[in-house]
Amino acid sequence: MRSFTSLLCAMTVASAVAGPLHAETAKTILFLAEDVPSGLDLDGASASITTSQTGMVNIMEPLFGYATKGVNASGITVPDFSKFEGRLVESWAFDPKTLIWTLHLRHGVKGCTGNEFTAKDVVYTYERGKSVSGSTPVGWFLANVASVKGFTADVFKNPAARTLSPDEVKAVDDYTVTIAQSEPNALFLPVLTIFGTYIFDATLMKAHATDKDPWAHDFANNVSPASFGPYCVERWEKNQEIIFKANPNYWRGKPAIDRVIMRRVPQSSNRMVILRTGQAQLTQNLTPREFDSLRGAPGLKVEGVEGNESLFIIMNFKIKPFDNIKLRQAIAYAIPTEQIIKTGYFGQAKPWHSIVPSIYPGYAETPTQYPYDTAKAKATLADAGYPDGKGLEAFHDSFQLTYPAEKESTVGPIVNIIQSALRQVGIPATLNPIPLAQFGDRTLVKRDLPFALNDYDKAIGVDAGYTLQLFLVSANKGGIANESDYSNAYIDETWPKARVETDPAKRNALLADMQEQAMKDVALLPIVEFKTQYALSDKLTGLSWQSDSSERFFDLKLQ
Amino acid sequence: MGRYIVKRVAVGLVQLIGLTVAVFFLIRLLPADPASRLVGMNPSREAYEQARHQLGLDQPLLTQLGAYLGLSSSGPGLLEGDFGTSWVTSSPVGSEIATYLPVTLELVTISFLIAFLVSVPIGMVGALNPGGRSDKAVFVYGLFAGSQPEFWWGLLFVYVFFFALGWAPAPLGSLSPMTSPPPSVTGFLTIDSLLAGQPDVFVEALQHLVLPVATLVFVLSGPIVKMVRQNMARALRADFVLYANCAGLPPARVARYALRAAMAPSMTLIGILYGFMLGGAVLVENVFSLPGIGQYAVRAVLAYDYPAIQGVVLVITALSLVVYLGIDLIHAAIDPRIVH
Repeated sequence: MRSFTSLLCAMTVASAVAGPLHAETAKTILFLAEDVPSGLDLDGASASITTSQTGMVNIMEPLFGYATKGVNASGITVPDFSKFEGRLVESWAFDPKTLIWTLHLRHGVKGCTGNEFTAKDVVYTYERGKSVSGSTPVGWFLANVASVKGFTADVFKNPAARTLSPDEVKAVDDYTVTIAQSEPNALFLPVLTIFGTYIFDATLMKAHATDKDPWAHDFANNVSPASFGPYCVERWEKNQEIIFKANPNYWRGKPAIDRVIMRRVPQSSNRMVILRTGQAQLTQNLTPREFDSLRGAPGLKVEGVEGNESLFIIMNFKIKPFDNIKLRQAIAYAIPTEQIIKTGYFGQAKPWHSIVPSIYPGYAETPTQYPYDTAKAKATLADAGYPDGKGLEAFHDSFQLTYPAEKESTVGPIVNIIQSALRQVGIPATLNPIPLAQFGDRTLVKRDLPFALNDYDKAIGVDAGYTLQLFLVSANKGGIANESDYSNAYIDETWPKARVETDPAKRNALLADMQEQAMKDVALLPIVEFKTQYALSDKLTGLSWQSDSSERFFDLKLQ
Repeated sequence: MGRYIVKRVAVGLVQLIGLTVAVFFLIRLLPADPASRLVGMNPSREAYEQARHQLGLDQPLLTQLGAYLGLSSSGPGLLEGDFGTSWVTSSPVGSEIATYLPVTLELVTISFLIAFLVSVPIGMVGALNPGGRSDKAVFVYGLFAGSQPEFWWGLLFVYVFFFALGWAPAPLGSLSPMTSPPPSVTGFLTIDSLLAGQPDVFVEALQHLVLPVATLVFVLSGPIVKMVRQNMARALRADFVLYANCAGLPPARVARYALRAAMAPSMTLIGILYGFMLGGAVLVENVFSLPGIGQYAVRAVLAYDYPAIQGVVLVITALSLVVYLGIDLIHAAIDPRIVH
């Protein structure tokens, strides 16, 4: 025992010699993340991982972005979703007769390698997207959603259809590009702000193409496809850290922060204590309780934005007894929203009154609402044919409320609240945490989860139509995130009309009707919209938010 | 002895082959589809089929096995030493394991060496003075160390030694974010830093190992101390010890004889623990943000990354077999009857 104590003492003394390590030097920040990018290919296997997206959005550049609306009360710069601004595009024009967008590109934009941005980079990006050569064809998908001509599902069946034609995307000259649409579709500009449409440096990518990998996916996934964005990759050790260094040639000016070290610290409690010591300057994805405990901590601030993150319940329409609309409505009335906001989110959430994020253009608060009312829940349950829950015991498996096990620390308290509330009205809910990958498989692909809680999936295309297409349109008609396997003829017929409607007022009216229909049917049960929060040093300013929730390091300033 | 080693290696190879095939089929029984994780934000039918095709999952199982082993024309396979490419990172699994395994080996090996050096004397002292203060202290320590999981001790150590006292570096992995790692030669930071002539990096790597090693030593020492104490106490009651005492041999020499007899079963436990900790150190790796093989394995399983799962299982198994072989050889050296 004495030996062990001596050893421990020796160890701690050795550590004391080192003293605390200070990561913060001038113009360098340490950003603690739950993970670092697994890959940086827009069409790669890790494109759906948010930490990978953080890497992508900081080393590449979109054609379009949103103008800035201002700084919210919390200190976060938020975008104005009604106003687009050119990024790599200086000006643009749309001809509604030919459905052709003419993009006049910015001159003198240089990337990390010093290559100058021209029309050939845009054409290359669309050629690559249409090749559907990556493991996840995100570029194709987004172009398809935006109705870019030629980006149809035919590319998967017919190899010849994978070649980009000049009547689809064409370089008119070095600084002019035309992109044709197959139909009028208001999603064109919103989609071209999404990370999956960011522009590659064609010269760089072609230099790393091989016969086996002509679109340089390996290079993008394992080295760096850094193109015309504000940062380049200085060092990247997967599973550990990635260091971004400022692109001195960035067209909006050299970033104020020279280096951003993004370090993997999987334990959220460790991210919190390291931040408290001042050794790191920024972190996110703490639990609501941890964020709350940091409020008022010396040298720190917690900033939040009412963005597009939300909590909702999925009740599968194809699985009994959730095919019973009265039962779905009874469950809706039984959810204690205010208690969830108070206990689960420490006040950093608000009730959600539709199925579309409330900050998105086209959002409509629906006339149909389901306020917490246990008496009404019990009465509706009786109307459903299950007075006091009698008869529901036959559906034990269906009432397993499933959620991602990796989210236990965040949604754990919430699922317990929901379980208690449902049992109070006679619904025999049990809890069923499963791995996130399995959750995604069963909600998005197999669509066989009867009853689930989701605080993870969101539409990053900023538009009510984009959201409704993903989550509500029938799966066989393009509703690729239709997690409750909902199918409604009115919605399926209305979306194609809304998609091509060029009058914004008429389009919004159609979208509002679709939202109301979905709320009546309880297609998804919206519970709350919760704030996207960040904890950061009080010396760090300029934090901005975009719909993918990835930090834009260019906007940050260190005092 | 030579024949014994050859025989053991041959058996080990058969075990590896059996395991390769078993793991290949077993992971395909996991209750989720890896293609769906890949398509993520775009789970359209077309994208899903594309992902399945890219991963080769649209092929019959035996064709997939042939491709994995390298028996088909699709490219090199396991038989040529190619573990395949990770479905998450798109990097070769072999090179990823070569990056992450040394981190765990370094952590676990140093922890075991220290745990061994600490636990054996403590266990001996307890056995030589049964019922005495030191024996009671050993008993209490054994209970204390084993009463909580290692990640709990790790978090506690972080809180006390990093946050409250400021003695230890932040749990940010193997090195400070401001330090450039030395060129990788062996993959072991402590060795590579010395090879690169960077003593400052060597010291820093040691500093970052202090808390994770202390955590593992704290937890591992409990069972090792108990095992050594029990075996030592049993050996001290054996006839040969009684005879040695009667023959008037010095107590130190008698204790040495008893220790040799006590070490054989203790070494078995240590070997089993070492093999277990190669994958089981994941909790400590997680707490201290160490990019070790345990974390890699967990990520692979959670993402249904078949090539990575297969690669990790094979490498850990091969290493465990080597460790068990080493333990058997030590056993044989201690007790020659084993060879026969």
